[in-house]
Amino acid sequence: MKRFKAVYLIIITALLAAYYLALGIYLHKAGYTNQESLFYVEKAQIIFSGVGDKLRIMGLTSPILPFYSVVFFSLFNNELAPVLASAIGTAALFYIMASSMMKRNKDIYYLYLLVGIFALHPGLLYTACSGKSIYLDLILFFLFFLNLLKYYNSNTTFHVSVASLFFVMLIFTDYKMIWLSLFFIPLVLAISVHSLNLGEKESVFRLFMSFNNPSLRRKLINKTFSIYTIIFLLPLASVLIYKMLNLTHADDLNYFLDSPYATWNIITDNLEYTMKETATKYDISEVSILVSLKAILFCPLIVLAIYLFKQHLYQILTLLTPFGLIEFLKVKYDQVNLVYEYYLLFLILALLCIIFRVRFIKNQNPLKVCLIAVIAVQCYIGYVFLNKSAIGEEKNFAEALFNSKPERVDDENYNLAKYIKSMPADTHILADDAVAYAIVGYTNNIQRFTIPFQSEYLSAVEAPDKYNGYVLIANTGNPMLSYTQLTEAYLESIKVKNEALRLTKVYITDNWTLYKIM
Amino acid sequence: MSTIISESLLQDSAAFPYGNAYHSEIAKILIEDGFLSESDFEKIDKVYAQTGASFIKILLSFGFISRKNYERSLTRAGYVFEQIRELPYDEEVLNKIDLKFADERLALPLRADNGKLVCAMADPTDQTFIDFIRATYQLEPHIIIASDLDITWLSHKLLGTKYVKSAVFELLNEDPGNSALTTFTDKQLIFIFSFIGLLAAGFVLSFKTTATVLNVFMSLFFLVTIVFKLFLSLVGSRFELYQAVTKSEVKAINNNELPVYTIHLPVYKEDKLIKKLIWNLQSIDYPREKLDIKLLIEEDDDKTLNAVRNLDFPAIFEVIVVPFHMPKTKPKACNYGLHFSRGEYLTIYDAEDIPDTDQLKKVVAMFSKLPDNYICVQCALNYFNRNENFLTRMFTLEYSYWFDYVLPGLDTLDIPIPLGGTSNHFKLANLVELGAWDPFNVTEDADLGVRAYAKGYKIAVLNSTTYEEANNDFFNWIRQRSRWIKGYMQTYLVHMRNPSALIKKIGMRGFLGFTFFVGATPIMFLLNPILIFIFLAYVVFDLEVIRTLFPDWVLFISIFNLMVGNILMIYVNMMAVFKRRFYELILFAIANPIYWLMHSVAAYKGLYQLIVKPFYWEKTNHGLSKTHNQNNVVK
Repeated sequence: MKRFKAVYLIIITALLAAYYLALGIYLHKAGYTNQESLFYVEKAQIIFSGVGDKLRIMGLTSPILPFYSVVFFSLFNNELAPVLASAIGTAALFYIMASSMMKRNKDIYYLYLLVGIFALHPGLLYTACSGKSIYLDLILFFLFFLNLLKYYNSNTTFHVSVASLFFVMLIFTDYKMIWLSLFFIPLVLAISVHSLNLGEKESVFRLFMSFNNPSLRRKLINKTFSIYTIIFLLPLASVLIYKMLNLTHADDLNYFLDSPYATWNIITDNLEYTMKETATKYDISEVSILVSLKAILFCPLIVLAIYLFKQHLYQILTLLTPFGLIEFLKVKYDQVNLVYEYYLLFLILALLCIIFRVRFIKNQNPLKVCLIAVIAVQCYIGYVFLNKSAIGEEKNFAEALFNSKPERVDDENYNLAKYIKSMPADTHILADDAVAYAIVGYTNNIQRFTIPFQSEYLSAVEAPDKYNGYVLIANTGNPMLSYTQLTEAYLESIKVKNEALRLTKVYITDNWTLYKIM
Repeated sequence: MSTIISESLLQDSAAFPYGNAYHSEIAKILIEDGFLSESDFEKIDKVYAQTGASFIKILLSFGFISRKNYERSLTRAGYVFEQIRELPYDEEVLNKIDLKFADERLALPLRADNGKLVCAMADPTDQTFIDFIRATYQLEPHIIIASDLDITWLSHKLLGTKYVKSAVFELLNEDPGNSALTTFTDKQLIFIFSFIGLLAAGFVLSFKTTATVLNVFMSLFFLVTIVFKLFLSLVGSRFELYQAVTKSEVKAINNNELPVYTIHLPVYKEDKLIKKLIWNLQSIDYPREKLDIKLLIEEDDDKTLNAVRNLDFPAIFEVIVVPFHMPKTKPKACNYGLHFSRGEYLTIYDAEDIPDTDQLKKVVAMFSKLPDNYICVQCALNYFNRNENFLTRMFTLEYSYWFDYVLPGLDTLDIPIPLGGTSNHFKLANLVELGAWDPFNVTEDADLGVRAYAKGYKIAVLNSTTYEEANNDFFNWIRQRSRWIKGYMQTYLVHMRNPSALIKKIGMRGFLGFTFFVGATPIMFLLNPILIFIFLAYVVFDLEVIRTLFPDWVLFISIFNLMVGNILMIYVNMMAVFKRRFYELILFAIANPIYWLMHSVAAYKGLYQLIVKPFYWEKTNHGLSKTHNQNNVVK
């Protein structure tokens, strides 16, 4: 029976993966793309086909785990690698959640419910078909919280250590997740206070007593510190180590966070900020405090999930930590909108709670009806969130998915790359992939470019006529202008140095100009 | 007097008529002096029925009377105790008596003199021995009363040669391939020198390439070993709530059905710990008459012998004196003790050990559940003086990690378990069949674990702890650790004489586990300071030479390894003390890299000794701790 269930689950997962792949490839062919996928595709090309300092690309491209995942799928198809990764990754997320569900609940209804959510929820379709790394975030987030909940039940070091390892991976999938550690402090304190051997039952009075007794205070601090260390030492130390590697190999502790050569976030955040600055309409729901309400609106199931853990203080405090995280992110990164991924965390968390606790509910039938109704509403809200998103990439996805004839999103870069592809095979173009990674990626021929990871790049920038036939320049209107050296100003300076240099425009778009060096 | 004989025996007293020793003259004297009561004789009878030991042996070794009181009582009655160690003896007389008989009766014939046979006896009224003298030598005995310890000392010294030779050479004769008498075989020497030669040639031909390859190899080896240890810890920690034997299973044990249990206590100059040892043994929850406790004292160890002699209260162990023979090691003493052991199961404790009180019963319950091929059960070791100083804290971190995570991890993955020094419980018959401990190996326990796996036997891990004294003195620690690391080197060399045969015996998984644990441990400690030195030289001096040894990518790997390796080791140590709820020690795990450097010092000392004096047993001094926690009470 067990084996039959396992095979059954594998078949459903495979079907789901095929469904995601079909949808993802269709959307990709139809022209949907995003900055993250393009960035990784270009970096993967460098690793497989480039000649130069690949160590920095391999070691310091960030976030590193989604990048490695794309690199792995690039072995099969470079262009489609992000979509393959996200489709198969989301199917894997389903498998992990479903197998966890089947271990705890004999009722197959909940499995079908999970299948329904994974097949229809626009947020999960976005995760699976966009080529973004949200899937990895969700998998690791699920496993992290799953192990924490297991720890509360079993009190074994194993689960807390495994949770810690998943948290390390989560950070290396999305660095912003490190701030989650802040919101565990009250939780850890609550666990410590609760574990003290005191006659008093009320937590507040227990805390009061333990703070006013030197021996208890020492115990409390020791235990709080220990639990916190066991969960967060590895993640914090790993970040420190990674920063050290950045320092030794890029002379900058925060290279992986701040350099457009290392991460795509810096460019997309900047783009979004520029767009938000110019937008006249201010999105009121993105104000701190209201973000939590927005999350509840996005996932009403989370309320039910918290209810399922009533009278379980640790678990409830644990479920509240992501609220703290999104509020904090809103305050810390106030210039950018909260991306869809963070709302999806609540969906995953709610499903985790259902997996964990639903078998303890006596009245299953009303619950099932209630669940299906809430999930149906949630799917619609998911669509609305995606369709009305202030973030271009999310809105584009909704349009691509729900429009019968989607339009290519990144037309300008795609067409420029197409033109480059049509140029003679021995063409050499000086470009800066800090901002032109999309064009390099689309071209799918890294040998045509002289880009910063190559040792001759600096010499080529100094004397482009000696190294390259063409130079790709960011126009003044390019929103990413400040991140590249190859601008109109650069051309002027070069012309001053070398008066004999003659440049002819061969291809012009709103943001780019391709010059031929005569 | 003592009330430690089990109640079950008392209830069963009808089975034994009134004590036959009751009417002896010595017994009357002791009763008159109030050292024995009638109820004691009932117990003595029961012990006799169980052990067949002589009256005097039972009195002095099963907690009925202290040696001091026995001597005092007899002296008052007019008996005179004499010193016998220097007395002349006749080889022909000695040839007619077996050591086991002399040891059991606590009496020894020495020589014929004036038509009588001069005999040293602890109990001058022992009719069985007197009859033996008359029947064997056709002479009347001339009895000299002597301390039982002196008789034991002399009888083992004069009659123990056969047994001590067997203790030293049994394994060598039966299974020479597994004896550490030869440290390096010819093939191993050829391999080692060929490797050094190749390395030297590589450095001459292309210094940079060879150095880079060596660097990468060392770094990767380092990382793989540490990641493997993390993996093992996770596997081990997964079963931390699993109780191999539960309290209810222990409660369900019927005392009458328990087998005789031998406990070996090998000691050397542990005079300070003898009193503590008595207390610890008293706490063990096991019928006294079924305990066969042997205190193994070296022939030249008068300190410990006198400490036993001067005890103010009854001892509950039997003294065995190990005659002088090289090598003077603990395994040799234990092998010697095996000849006099009568238990079905056997364990070893150090003098300062405080085992969980129900440990022996748990082991019995465990063996009854396990298949027959499980011949050993290893209990966890931890420390009672963990908060004494930096060293004891670090030791506790290390042991918690090793016994709570690594050994259960190895057990789960079915990889040979390098046994801990004490608290490993054997089936005695199987232990003898294996050839017992290798007296030439200074970590005989680790060696025996691998040997058992190689013969198809298994070792299980039990949820019971023995609390020991953590070394709190730096130099003492170095001595102890250098012996352990040297022993790991010896063990690895012994079992790697024929790697393909070893793989056949213990499988690839077992082989890798053995290599990463027993083989890699000394290598890592030897490499660690070199890598740290190179790294510090790079960071502090920014030397050009080092840059040539570390191309960018090698530097990347090396720094990654250095940091990740240390963090992971710190983390696994934290995990272990977290499990034990020693929260105050968690922060000390950060000092692990310093503790590793101390290991490196010990490793280089161990390597030196492996070459110069491989069988030398670096003695660890015990009894230095000021802490006297009793952690073994099962709550």
